[in-house]
Amino acid sequence: MNVPYTWLREFVPTDLTPQELAHRMTMAGLEAEKIEQIGTTWDHIYTGLVTKVTQHPDADRLVVADVDAGEHSRRVVTGAPNIREGQKVVLALEGARFIDGHSEEIKWRTLKPGMLRGIMSEGMVCSQRELGLSDEHEGIMVLDPDAPIGVPLADYLGDSVIEFEITPNLVHAFSVYGIAREAGAITALPVAEPEVVEFPAELATTGLVEIAAPEFAKRYHAVIIDRVKVQPSPDWMQRRLSAAGIRPISNLVDVTNYVMLELGQPLHAFDLSTITTGTIVVRTAEAGELLETLDHQVRELPDHALLITDGGRPVGLAGIMGGVNSEITDDTTSILLESANFEMTNIRQTSRALKLRTDASARFERGLDPELSALANARAAKLILDLNPGATIRSWQDVYPNPVQPRSVSLPFAKIEQLLGMEIPAAQTLEVLTRLHFAPTIDVETNVLTVQVPSWRPDVNLPQDVIEEVARIVGYDHLPATLITGTTPAVERDPVFLLERHVRKTLVATGAFEARTYVTVSEAEITRWSAPETGGLAHALPSEKLVRLKNPIQSDRGILRASLVPSLVSAVAENLKHEKTVRLFEIGHVYLGTEPDALPQEPSTLAIAFAGIREPFDRFHARPTAEDQLDYFDLKGVIDELLARHDHPALTWARAEHPSLHPGRAATISLEDGRRLGIIGEVRPDVAAELGVEDVRLVIAEINLQLLFEARPEGISHAVKFDRFLPVEQDYAIVVDASTPVADVETALRWGAGPLVTSVTLFDVFTGEQLGEHKKSLAFRVVYTAPDRALTDDDIAKVRRKIERTLKQQVDGTLRA
Amino acid sequence: MTTVNEGTSFDLDGLRSEALESLRTLADAAAAHAWERDFLGPKGKVTALLRGLGQLPKEQRPEAGKAIQALKTELTDAFTPVLAQLESAALAAQLAADAVDITMPGRQPAVGGAHPIAVMIDELVEVFAHLGFAAVFGPEVETGHYNFDLLNIPANHPARDVWDTIIVDAPTEEIVLRTHTSPMQARTMERLQPPVRVIVPGRAFRFEAQDASHEWQFTQLEGLAVDKHITMADLKGTLQELARQLFGPERQIRFRCDFFPFVEPGVDFSVDCAVCGGKGCRVCKHTGWLEMGGAGMVHPNVLRGVGYDPEVYSGFAFGLGIERLIMMKYGVDDIRAFAGSDIRFLRKFSLLSI
Repeated sequence: MNVPYTWLREFVPTDLTPQELAHRMTMAGLEAEKIEQIGTTWDHIYTGLVTKVTQHPDADRLVVADVDAGEHSRRVVTGAPNIREGQKVVLALEGARFIDGHSEEIKWRTLKPGMLRGIMSEGMVCSQRELGLSDEHEGIMVLDPDAPIGVPLADYLGDSVIEFEITPNLVHAFSVYGIAREAGAITALPVAEPEVVEFPAELATTGLVEIAAPEFAKRYHAVIIDRVKVQPSPDWMQRRLSAAGIRPISNLVDVTNYVMLELGQPLHAFDLSTITTGTIVVRTAEAGELLETLDHQVRELPDHALLITDGGRPVGLAGIMGGVNSEITDDTTSILLESANFEMTNIRQTSRALKLRTDASARFERGLDPELSALANARAAKLILDLNPGATIRSWQDVYPNPVQPRSVSLPFAKIEQLLGMEIPAAQTLEVLTRLHFAPTIDVETNVLTVQVPSWRPDVNLPQDVIEEVARIVGYDHLPATLITGTTPAVERDPVFLLERHVRKTLVATGAFEARTYVTVSEAEITRWSAPETGGLAHALPSEKLVRLKNPIQSDRGILRASLVPSLVSAVAENLKHEKTVRLFEIGHVYLGTEPDALPQEPSTLAIAFAGIREPFDRFHARPTAEDQLDYFDLKGVIDELLARHDHPALTWARAEHPSLHPGRAATISLEDGRRLGIIGEVRPDVAAELGVEDVRLVIAEINLQLLFEARPEGISHAVKFDRFLPVEQDYAIVVDASTPVADVETALRWGAGPLVTSVTLFDVFTGEQLGEHKKSLAFRVVYTAPDRALTDDDIAKVRRKIERTLKQQVDGTLRA
Repeated sequence: MTTVNEGTSFDLDGLRSEALESLRTLADAAAAHAWERDFLGPKGKVTALLRGLGQLPKEQRPEAGKAIQALKTELTDAFTPVLAQLESAALAAQLAADAVDITMPGRQPAVGGAHPIAVMIDELVEVFAHLGFAAVFGPEVETGHYNFDLLNIPANHPARDVWDTIIVDAPTEEIVLRTHTSPMQARTMERLQPPVRVIVPGRAFRFEAQDASHEWQFTQLEGLAVDKHITMADLKGTLQELARQLFGPERQIRFRCDFFPFVEPGVDFSVDCAVCGGKGCRVCKHTGWLEMGGAGMVHPNVLRGVGYDPEVYSGFAFGLGIERLIMMKYGVDDIRAFAGSDIRFLRKFSLLSI
């Protein structure tokens, strides 16, 4: 909410600068977001009086005007259609800066005197736009008749506009007066009452208003004013409305908006002649009822919508917007002024259903003080009578069946210190609460503090609310900084988080970077990878179980991912535009829908994607060949390392058949019980190209970390023993059928080699005629260590015989000499 | 045999002169090894003399033998330093040939890096573990019940609008992407009895247009402590401890009154700018303060909602944006970089020892 400082000072006589006040308000909970200075650009610009206007002898559209501005008086030539003798105007002299009135964008110019059709124009009379006050450039700006002559415009109209952010709890500060009340409490200054009329008791009437929906309309105050004359409102009122972002319309409508800004109560003025029955009836809408609102939209009203009717047809949408049919026009002579209190939830629901938010609805939906209705109408009536000489109040009615009851809150005085951890003396507490109009008392016997909550503070209900009131005015800068005392609970560590951290360290150690991508994907992206008919990656999820968003940020990415792979692959493609090697991984949740209306499962998941050259690109490796491309085995090495670090026995590797993966270079990894732990594979080159990765192999893997955690071995792994005796290395060349998986041969080899083995490493794969057709030779290096002695040749020879047997039995293999 | 005899004429002085002369002219270690072979090796000239002893008259043998052994010792003693010197010269030459430009770049290791958010989360978990807070984690897709209702944000209340919510398409239930990590307040209190001290790092989401300082997907750190006698001063002290661990031992925390439905009193909190020490500079936009997050004393309705008695227990809660923390600490100027997955950005952080 924008508050001109001069307006605020009408109520609170503070000497603080706008900046100082804004800071103190901010610290106390009313955040000033920015301060805009009006008038800082107005050098060489003065107020003046038009003393004489004559037609330019050589130009039909120009006049010559003498402007009295004391020692700054000038004769100007102008095309302004609205200039008249006797007006107070704004006179710019040589060197003044102004905004070009004819240019679309803001373009600053500097004034130079010049000849206009043979007559010297010594200055310029300014429009609002030229002064940066509004977009108005139809004619020159006319000041109020009581404006001074010959003073710098900045002294007369300069101001600071403070923009306050009004949080939802701050209904009491959603007005200039409300903010003034806050400022008064903060600065300990008195706050002036707004000037109002007294409604004469003899003009009170009945039958003017009927509330047919009392649950939604708590109060309706109506005044009829006759002999009004529709005309522009005075300059000072127009400027304040403009500063607040409201377009001036006419003296009647402007007053309703002015009072809304000033007191926070939305008002509405109806043309009385359109209320044909003479009675306002407040009721809810009937099915299919229509209303053309002031923005010229014909709206179908939701059935809970609260309406202002003339007994028959609707004439306004209560608390949101008036109807065109009862609008003030240039011919209006009598008005009905509404100042009502509508129920917040109803207004909010209608406003949301119609997607129509207005200054009025924004105030009503926060829950207005019903006590405000009469005050606001009295203030509006005062302004209308002031601006319409001859206007009179015909009658008024205040329908207020259930006035709000005074509320009080009590709390032990000691509770303030208990909650804040700071002692505030009783006298100071009482003083602060008094400034806030809470009428506090402390019972001397019980030491209980009791406050009477002002009607405009619906946000204060609990002892904690009262404590906040005291604390924010006293100031949180006084609060000490202490640490919690008492029992420290045991700090549990989340095991999945620890696993994720371990996995992250492993991946980083292998040279990969961790990405964090967006959680949303498109339907095409996700079904390519995780649709059940593809076999899925770490998870498979049917389309109907994908978690869909009602209002995604990007409409084409409206699904929560069931796999991390699609986003990670996009990240690889993006990075390949500037990197020769891309190793990325991501650890995050995937979202697996379960039942409608139930929360999805969110298993922690790891995805890895590699592409590009294997070695770092540098002077040692400036011309990599196709052989140097990262491929299946680079990523498999990482997975092997990862799984080795988690001590998982008996994982099954099987060839994966996924339509987007290379049929010969992809594998699923499963637990003994068949549950899928993950998948690894090179992406088919045609699919990779479609995804933006060309000319290099793209390898992906996805691992279900939640499952890796659940399937972990029980207990703490064996104590790490240090090998004290020297290891013995043996190389074995094993000939098997070409189709035998290496993993099977290794298993047989380990089986035969027994407990002395500390590592088994494949170091060569060889095929050749001398081996025979469909045969391959696998060369393994096996390292043996005994915990308690140095191994002998005898030991090794024994082991070799066992290996020969198990190879023969398990994979039909033979040891070459 | 005669030839041997003649060849091994037992002219010891002649052999000595020949050997020592030859020793002086050796060019390199290879020549030295050849010299050793020629004179002292198994087939060398000195050895040949020893073998020829048998042809001497028996009575001459002991003396001749001694003389030959003496010669052998003499030659060996002369040879050893010469060999050492030549070998050392050879090694020196080899090392000289092996010299490199020591300013040339080294071989790059394949260096990876954890995401800055993960690194910051680790750091926060560690800092708070010292203060007795456990890290807990929860679902990113939440019910309206946990995301709003239990946090004192009732349906149809304008406060609910503050959280621009991304909603999951569900037939009847209100299911949302959690708009903050605060739902874990209620989930944790439902699971545990006081004293409770937890932090909740995790993703949160808002329906919000992206720009350099706004992101619809971001990471929060929630904090919650509930016990008897927990005060707002404890909240300030805890946050000050955090600020000092992250930004230096001199840092101060400032509270400003603010509104969050699940706390009362509510504040936002700032840390004085470490760059200018609070005097005002470009980094803090000349305010001297950097906004970190929101905090306050847990609202009695929130405590009541999970079955805690607000007459017995009090607590504090706070929330802050982890991206913003990293931006403050490392001068990152665009929040969108965190979800950008650009290795050029990620590499910057692997170079830092956070």
